Amino acid sequence: MAKQAELKYITPAGVEVPPPPHLNKAKSQYTVFHFINGFVFILVCLIILVPIWKVLIDSLDLTSGYGMKLLPTKFGLDGYVSIFTNKSLLQPLWVSIYTTVAGTFIGLLLSTMGAYVLIQWDMPGRTLFANLLLFTMIFSGGMIPSYLVMRAVHLTDNPLGPILLPAINVYNLVLMRNFFEGIPKSLFESADLDGCTPMGMFWRIALPLSKAALASIGLMFAVAYWNDYTNFKLYITNRDLYNFQMKLRDMMQSSDLPEAVGGATENTIRNACIITAILPFMILYPFLQKYFVKGINIGAVKE
Amino acid sequence: MKKLTALVLALALCLSLISFASADALKIVVMVDGTVLDQNNGRDAIEARWEELHPGYDIEFVQPDHSAYYDVMQQRISSGDWPDVLILSSTYYADYAAAGVLWDMTEAWENSKTKNSGRFTGDIVFDGLKIDGKLYGFAPTRGNGCVTYVKKAWLDACGLEAPTTYDDYIAMCRAFKDKFGTYAVSAAGFVGNEAPFVNYLPEFYQDAYPFFVQQEDGTWVDGFCQDNMKEALQRIQDAVAEGLIDKETLTNKTSDARNKFYDDKFGVFTYWAGTWATNLKTNLEANGRDGELVALKPLEGNPLYYDRVPPVWCISAACKNPQEVFDAFIDTMLDGGDTQMLWEYGAEGTHWSRAAETVLAGTEKEATYEEGQFHMKENLEKAGTLYTKNHIDPMLALAGFDPSYDDPMSVAPEAKAASELFNANSRLASIVPATPELSEMNGELTSIKSQIIADVALGSISVEEGYKTFVDEGGQELSDAIVESLNALN
Amino acid sequence: MASSTSNGTIRVGKKPLGQRMKKYWGFYLMFIPVLIFVAVFHYAPMFGIRYAFYSWKIVGDPQWVGLANFEKLFKQSQFSTSFWNTIVFSVVKLVLNTGMAVIISLLLNEMISIKFKKLSQTIIYLPHFMSWVVTASVFSLLLAPSANGLINQVLIKLHIIDEGIYYLADKGHWRTWYYIINLWRETGWQTIIFMATLTGIDPGIYEAASIDGAGRWQKMWYVTFPALGNTIITVLILNLAKIMNLFESVFVLQNDSVRRATNVLQTYVYYQTFNAGASADYGYTTAVGLFRSLVGLALMLICNWASKKVRGRGIV
Repeated sequence: MAKQAELKYITPAGVEVPPPPHLNKAKSQYTVFHFINGFVFILVCLIILVPIWKVLIDSLDLTSGYGMKLLPTKFGLDGYVSIFTNKSLLQPLWVSIYTTVAGTFIGLLLSTMGAYVLIQWDMPGRTLFANLLLFTMIFSGGMIPSYLVMRAVHLTDNPLGPILLPAINVYNLVLMRNFFEGIPKSLFESADLDGCTPMGMFWRIALPLSKAALASIGLMFAVAYWNDYTNFKLYITNRDLYNFQMKLRDMMQSSDLPEAVGGATENTIRNACIITAILPFMILYPFLQKYFVKGINIGAVKE
Repeated sequence: MKKLTALVLALALCLSLISFASADALKIVVMVDGTVLDQNNGRDAIEARWEELHPGYDIEFVQPDHSAYYDVMQQRISSGDWPDVLILSSTYYADYAAAGVLWDMTEAWENSKTKNSGRFTGDIVFDGLKIDGKLYGFAPTRGNGCVTYVKKAWLDACGLEAPTTYDDYIAMCRAFKDKFGTYAVSAAGFVGNEAPFVNYLPEFYQDAYPFFVQQEDGTWVDGFCQDNMKEALQRIQDAVAEGLIDKETLTNKTSDARNKFYDDKFGVFTYWAGTWATNLKTNLEANGRDGELVALKPLEGNPLYYDRVPPVWCISAACKNPQEVFDAFIDTMLDGGDTQMLWEYGAEGTHWSRAAETVLAGTEKEATYEEGQFHMKENLEKAGTLYTKNHIDPMLALAGFDPSYDDPMSVAPEAKAASELFNANSRLASIVPATPELSEMNGELTSIKSQIIADVALGSISVEEGYKTFVDEGGQELSDAIVESLNALN
Repeated sequence: MASSTSNGTIRVGKKPLGQRMKKYWGFYLMFIPVLIFVAVFHYAPMFGIRYAFYSWKIVGDPQWVGLANFEKLFKQSQFSTSFWNTIVFSVVKLVLNTGMAVIISLLLNEMISIKFKKLSQTIIYLPHFMSWVVTASVFSLLLAPSANGLINQVLIKLHIIDEGIYYLADKGHWRTWYYIINLWRETGWQTIIFMATLTGIDPGIYEAASIDGAGRWQKMWYVTFPALGNTIITVLILNLAKIMNLFESVFVLQNDSVRRATNVLQTYVYYQTFNAGASADYGYTTAVGLFRSLVGLALMLICNWASKKVRGRGIV
């Protein structure tokens, strides 16, 4: 907060104004509205949590009940122990991590570069490019032709397949373009006059000003990669290259004939699997949130 | 970061480029689903042992994820990348056979060692596998099916014996309901969506079957339109209305039904025979309940339980030496000796052993064996548990071991009992030959039938109204067209 | 390309094409990777679209059948029900989810306690990570008519209803709960994109509005909401292109009793081919896919046209 207070705020018109009130609010500004708002959110969160609570409690309960419970009847971590003592889970975890990191990186790179080109409204061929991209959102060749192409370019049974294929995502690209559009044109123009190259403007203006967008779209990519099941299912048959989701599903499938560790029942393990899949993003999200909470102010960049 | 990513990508690329070179041996590409122990569970040891038993052959397993097996298979077949040997479920078996993907093994089978071994007990199963009198696949096991389990503790609490007639059965359900204040029977769905449709509620369906059946004179009829089906629907409707059957049966998934059973929400459960008998018991006991279950024989006057059509091993038409592959790979699967041992229990030293050792040391299930005593070894993937089998379930195998061979048969007693009861009281679910009309119209027809069964069961319409709906929604018309096409085959 | 729609600069004359292209050479270079990815992963497999006009039972060669696959689709008895269900379910769902996500985002934005804000955000985005299968099984428990069904129990305690209702077995209730479950699962996830947009609003504008005497609601309505406008429209239109893909959320919540009344195109086709096993005609499936694409294209073009009318430009 202290750091923000020192910054100067300049509206696009160039008028300097004091920092906006919502960035340095004092506690005294709590009003009836805020209490009602807070209450609404407590309620919303509770509603959201009820079904998740059911899964969480079942994953910690060594008995397998059918109904809702507030707390486990017989608490135990054996469900999670069954998952994590499973030696063959480390390799898929590693596959998931590297495909997610590499994929998110490539995905963000493609989306931002594509989006940046698409805001060049005067560029000859821009509309053609945009339509080329949109067309792929609507039409697809189907499962078997996709497989034939993937095989032809040697991306089947190759971790690069599930990394590269989802990296081009038109939906995310268009959203990214939307964010770039919010950056005042004047910034690019003055940089252009200073002799900055397109790539230079991209690195020095477009990207630094879009941290919130990068965080949110990066998150969308990361989640898609982490949860990816279809691409692994269709293009990977080598078990050494399975990712965590594949392995979890495999375990849940084979839990049709469950062999639980310790006191865990099949139900405990199944629910522990579900929670385990959510866990990484429960941990990661709060770290990303600073990009959503803290506003990016144009003035600060201009300084 | 970028460097790291690049490194990771490069590494991954290298890994994927490494491929295994093979020697001069005859290579057999075998495509299997999750029913064979996979790479993480010592499949390499199985492969090595097999090749040791059959010198001159080199097996290459292709094993996609179990749930993706048929997607991957379809991709391979349509892109011309056919394996030599493949496992197929009954639906795919019939279709691939008709499409010419599979090698006709009728003759090879007639002359095979397995068929003429004197140990083989699956002639009925193999008759069921024939399409137009030709055999395209080999089933090492029967298909398995469901039997009805009743909680012993509930019977005792009501002072009842296991029922043998429908009247006894209903009386038992009523007693359970009065005593425990809950429904007596639950299932996942009032009707299944694949053959043998009625296997979860056999006592109520009795001899009714909602699909096409061939009568004794060889003509086909739609079982759904027969009077016995109307009676069955009435029985189900009455039982749901009386609270004997859980009405949530409509939305239950199989895991819901199992959880309710473990949670003592009901006492009579029709579920898979064999290993599941043990699973139900263990999970009940984990819940602190009495795990003893009584497996019921089919009620008096009721037909036998249904046996599913088992998955089969096939040789593709692209295989260069089909007869050789048949002799080496398929005909040895039930050889009554070492190869059968390999397919039933896995590789010695990896999945089972006769050495003196202690397994699961430090756990409740710790057990010590002497030299020469057969035992399964600890699961490589799930620490704390033991392997139970490889591909062939010993309880379902269609041929036993040679009398001279040391048959280990290490099966939990309750599983063995349930299995034996099922084997003695089951019949094969009929295979309906595919006609263009059937494959085109049956989807629609099934959805109409299922809706009527569900609505009648829940009591929102009467049986008569149900059959009126059947006509109004065009079900009768579809049904007639399919019956006609089936009869035209004769 | 002739008109200059750029916001910042207005070019009156037009330089020759070559000269303009030369000016943008760096941008063309940047676009090459995108083009390569699109070409390999999307355009190369599109040769498969031709199978819509073939009969191809996976094994054997495809047979040219012209429009027969489409005829087969249109004459299916439940075609129109499932077609309209697809449109209605998706549009209602899209409007509800987006609307709710916007409201939640606006309210989150007003929250003072950063900790509470973060916590709420984290909680509401969690459901997105539960697969549809799990979601369906948890909700069928919550909605159960018996004593296990939490929702019925609460309503009975509050004397709103007298006895448990089997929501998922009733066609009317099923739709309501379908929308509610979708709201539960997707609202939080959608707020992410709106929250990111909100952080991009120039704080000076709020100040200017305050100086003009605008209250909280006025600021929300005249500053925050319009700032979201562009994103809202983009999200709506992009999702319209995909609405015919609706499958899993409907599929997992269906049961025998409501299936025929709640089928969408994809679930309908699934059940059509379900018992056909391996002999499912790949040509037919492709034809259904092409039909869905054409509907998506039509919807998108209509909305893009509307967007041009209202805002002066389309979405890309």
